[in-house]
Amino acid sequence: MKNLRVAHIVEATIWLSLALLLFVSSFDFNQEIEIYKYGASAWPRALLLLIAVAAVGQLLGQWLRGESQGSKMLGKASDDGAELAAELSDHNNPKWLAWTFMIMTIPFFYMNVPGIVGDLLSLEKAGLNQVKLLTAAALLGIFLLAIRGNHIGGMLTLPLLFGAFLQDFGFYFTAPFFILGTMYLMGERRWKNMTMIAALVMGIMLALFVSLLYVGLPTGIISPFYEFGTTIVNLLQ
Amino acid sequence: MDTLNNFINGTIALFGDPLGILIFLGGVIGGMLFGAIPGVSMLTLAAILLPFTAHLSPEHGIMLFSVIYCTGVYGGAITAILFNIPGAPENAPTAFDGYPMTQKGQAGKAVGAAVTCSAIGGTVSAVIMMIATAPIAGWAISAFGPPEIFALVFFGLAVASSVGAKTFWKGWLSILLGLLIAVVGLDPVGGIERWDFGMPYLLAGIHFIPTILGFFAVSEVFVQVEKKARGAYSAPKVGVDFPSLAELFAQKIAVIRSIFIGFFCGILPGIGATLAAFMGYNEAVRWSKDSKEFGTGKMEGVVSSETANNAATGAAMIPLLALGLPGGALTAMMVAVFQMHDMEPGPLVFLNSADLVWVVFSAMFFANLSILLIGFLETKTIINLLRIPFQFLAPVILLLATVGAYAVRGLPIDIVVMFIAGIVGFFLRRSGYSVAGIVLGLILGKIGEQTFAQAMQMLHFEWSGFLSRPIAITLIIAGVLTLLNSIYSAFFKKSA
Repeated sequence: MKNLRVAHIVEATIWLSLALLLFVSSFDFNQEIEIYKYGASAWPRALLLLIAVAAVGQLLGQWLRGESQGSKMLGKASDDGAELAAELSDHNNPKWLAWTFMIMTIPFFYMNVPGIVGDLLSLEKAGLNQVKLLTAAALLGIFLLAIRGNHIGGMLTLPLLFGAFLQDFGFYFTAPFFILGTMYLMGERRWKNMTMIAALVMGIMLALFVSLLYVGLPTGIISPFYEFGTTIVNLLQ
Repeated sequence: MDTLNNFINGTIALFGDPLGILIFLGGVIGGMLFGAIPGVSMLTLAAILLPFTAHLSPEHGIMLFSVIYCTGVYGGAITAILFNIPGAPENAPTAFDGYPMTQKGQAGKAVGAAVTCSAIGGTVSAVIMMIATAPIAGWAISAFGPPEIFALVFFGLAVASSVGAKTFWKGWLSILLGLLIAVVGLDPVGGIERWDFGMPYLLAGIHFIPTILGFFAVSEVFVQVEKKARGAYSAPKVGVDFPSLAELFAQKIAVIRSIFIGFFCGILPGIGATLAAFMGYNEAVRWSKDSKEFGTGKMEGVVSSETANNAATGAAMIPLLALGLPGGALTAMMVAVFQMHDMEPGPLVFLNSADLVWVVFSAMFFANLSILLIGFLETKTIINLLRIPFQFLAPVILLLATVGAYAVRGLPIDIVVMFIAGIVGFFLRRSGYSVAGIVLGLILGKIGEQTFAQAMQMLHFEWSGFLSRPIAITLIIAGVLTLLNSIYSAFFKKSA
């Protein structure tokens, strides 16, 4: 047991749980196909079995030999520094991971809460939009508080939050804040530079994609963000 | 003679088309820059460009990717030599001797050797590719049915899982995860919905473009954030010297050996340019009489690594175009380009789209040659570009990926899927898993399952039917032996 660490057991548990959960849900499509006797579930189940075997094999290997399994050259060739960075930054401890995963749930609240509230209160479109605005403001506040001291967690969540807000508030309004937020989370503090870079990047992106390539980016659906987005598109095209 | 004629026609088609020239030059310079800048790689560029290739012709799309492949493999050598920061993993061994050469004041010579040998390795590999691919494809048309293609996919994945990641188990799990993602959606035989969890989005399967963008472009940014990479380096003044003919001639054995190693690595699925560079370097050390000098600034180290990684590029195109089997992440993205144009790579491409193949071949040949010219002209520009701090580059990469993911189908959910893939990729990478393996599994999963079903129907569900098909059974046995050998190594072999 000397080589086995808690992380190894957690890793194996995640793989085995994934395989088990997906195996159970494979009964939903366990149907026969007339021309194919193995049906729709044989292939995915074979993959799940192999995942379980590999997860157990990995755990056994880690138990018997630790991390030094196989060729050093392969290890070097496939090393992109991500593991070392995680180790050096001490971001493998359970507290940091739990904190980060909690921050990452914030965008999913935005994707689900307004819809649930809207259904419960039988809201019309205008009412639903107000709920969305309020939820967005509240979640943004929680996000800003939660990432204090965990900028990596913030960096992992910010793009998701941007993706979640995109449909309602539009690319044209949210993207500049996204650029500024990314730079801030990566340690940049020179606001003059940040604003100039954000304006430059937005200018180039809009000229290239909206004016030249006519890519229809999301304009948003909530007023006044929608009007803001369409005005920019009309100006550029 | 046919090959020469086809090559000339391909060259005329390539340079007779202004848009083609523009894309070629864009690919050459873009590949080199993204290869060179630490924190991004040619895979980042390819992932960002992938959605937009839908607006290009298939010829231009595949040509762009093949050119990026050639110059991207070289690009990272510059930073490996000058700053000990390989721009991409395939240039890591170049730094072993390249950086000590810089410290000894021989930076120009090291970059010169890297430029020259990259061009030689890549060009020779491109020529062999031109000569060999068509006959292999011709043979494959008659010899390869569904059982053989399934066996080939199995063999490819077995090799990729054995060598693609830090440990065999992680390689295997990475590929299986990719295969599992490919299952989501409708099954290829009966059209039955699988793991859609009642979400209409999942019915059509998880789209490969947001997934690829997430795994390569987004996760790379996240990894760099954790590394706290700034990307700003104090750039030393450097000129680029051609090694003299005598110096180059002295390296002939290293060059020839590395071409063989690189080509062999490139042609086998899952190995590719990175391992080619490591093996090229390792063999150079093993063969050398004064092996202790390696690591202290020996030109042979730079030569071996850079020749081998570029020699792998042409070779990797052979299984892709002749058999439809991508061997690595970039060739898997090329399959995606084919699929976006409703085409499947494989032997039939030679019959149906011979023009495409020869434009691509010509482009690769000239891309490797252009490393010589642009490598010398661009080195100083690249050094200046490295001054761009990564915190300014990161939002640009993320925004480009966002636009790319959205542009494919106009669905905002694709952007969310991409960022989720980025987060998953980030956590998997920091645990030693291989995102390239996942993407390979994702791309080959559908082909694998489809050909398995067709093969079993063809063989009337008799597994013994494989025994009567020599190519299929050979590939399956080779795949099983590869897996068994890896399992044995994982448990019993001493680390070497």
